Amino acid sequence: MKLYLIGFLILASASVSSHAETLTVITKQNAIRTSCQFFAPVKAMVYYNDVLEVTSKQGDWYQVRFNGLPGCIHKSAVDKKSFTLSKITGSQGQSASGGEVALAGKGFNPQVESAYKRSNPGLNYTAVNRVEGYTVSDKQVLQFIQTGRLTPP
Amino acid sequence: MKTPLALLAGIILVSLIACSGMDIGSVTRVVQQTFQAATPLSDEEEYYVGRAVAARILSTYSLLEDRKLTEYVNLVGNTVAVNSDEPYTYGGYHFAVLNSEEINAFACPGGIILITKGMLYATQNEDELAAVLAHEVAHINNRDGVSAIQKARLTEVATLIGKEAAQRYTPAELSQLVTAFEGSIDDVFKTLVVNGYSKTQEYRADEDAITYLKRAGYDPYALKNFLVRLQSQGQGSTGGIMKTHPATSERIARVEKELPSDQFDQSLVQLRAKRFKKAL
Repeated sequence: MKLYLIGFLILASASVSSHAETLTVITKQNAIRTSCQFFAPVKAMVYYNDVLEVTSKQGDWYQVRFNGLPGCIHKSAVDKKSFTLSKITGSQGQSASGGEVALAGKGFNPQVESAYKRSNPGLNYTAVNRVEGYTVSDKQVLQFIQTGRLTPP
Repeated sequence: MKTPLALLAGIILVSLIACSGMDIGSVTRVVQQTFQAATPLSDEEEYYVGRAVAARILSTYSLLEDRKLTEYVNLVGNTVAVNSDEPYTYGGYHFAVLNSEEINAFACPGGIILITKGMLYATQNEDELAAVLAHEVAHINNRDGVSAIQKARLTEVATLIGKEAAQRYTPAELSQLVTAFEGSIDDVFKTLVVNGYSKTQEYRADEDAITYLKRAGYDPYALKNFLVRLQSQGQGSTGGIMKTHPATSERIARVEKELPSDQFDQSLVQLRAKRFKKAL
């Protein structure tokens, strides 16, 4: 048992050192901002599964670099992908990282949703899409906070 | 004692390499399945579950078609959400009003929050509306909806898909996945609409709602005020939200413990009440 633990620790440390500095975007889309605060100007848009290079952490925000562009992203929009089996085992093309497994999850995806919709035609997905279309911009929310004398985050 | 996931996977990996003649590919597959079986739903999956739950709710309730009012509810909701513990979800937060007199609200996993017209009119000002929405945002932050999914379903799916998670599925695999998806939606729907969350989850959502209200600059007393009025109007024990929530008196008692001792500046509540009145 002791041997296994030691073996694992060696493997884990190797994995962490090779992947500790990247993050993966886990939201459909998000923004890289000029400073580490909500509503700061947007420098670039990033999308699901984009990989960002971490330069430092500042509270709940990461300072990152994306396509050479530095900026900030909130921690809830990203996830770490630091456990890569291919790095440990040396296998090529047969393994997925722990992060990929977590992201791909248990298979509930657009393909499953489409099949589910077909077998349940009574469900009102049209209304769901309509609700998802209800959005308010950063500018609107910030103005709403200011006029209501609320506290900007 | 809970064994850390990575440690467990590591032990399996090392033991298999050390003790068997298994090829690396097989070892990798076993470890991946261990990860999948024990990993909670990803944000993306939670999003698809939430969409399906919302589609089911919206098959019973119709949307209130009022663009101005919906925008206002989204502004209040997003102000609270940005001050929550998880300001960003896979698909973002979206708020909508259901055309129903029933007093109710539903937090679909992933970020869709549906509030009935009855609930909206039961609140007296913006701060109370923010309190109601903060409670729902807390359920999403705490993943209370998806926690209702029976673990066996997820384990079954994890076993089925193995390392092929990111690929397209064969018809047979797809059929099994849809069955598991359907079962998961049933579990969440029953919790949201029929049985309600556990008392612990409800109390925690109230507690978190107060935290979000404080951060946002809303009156933290608004949640208590709303619950007290609901109770005094005789809606504290039956129907709608009360059918699925713990006794209002118990919620009030617990909320009181979380409130700050200093009173909130009521002129700010009144200021916001003006735009609330205008929006409604």
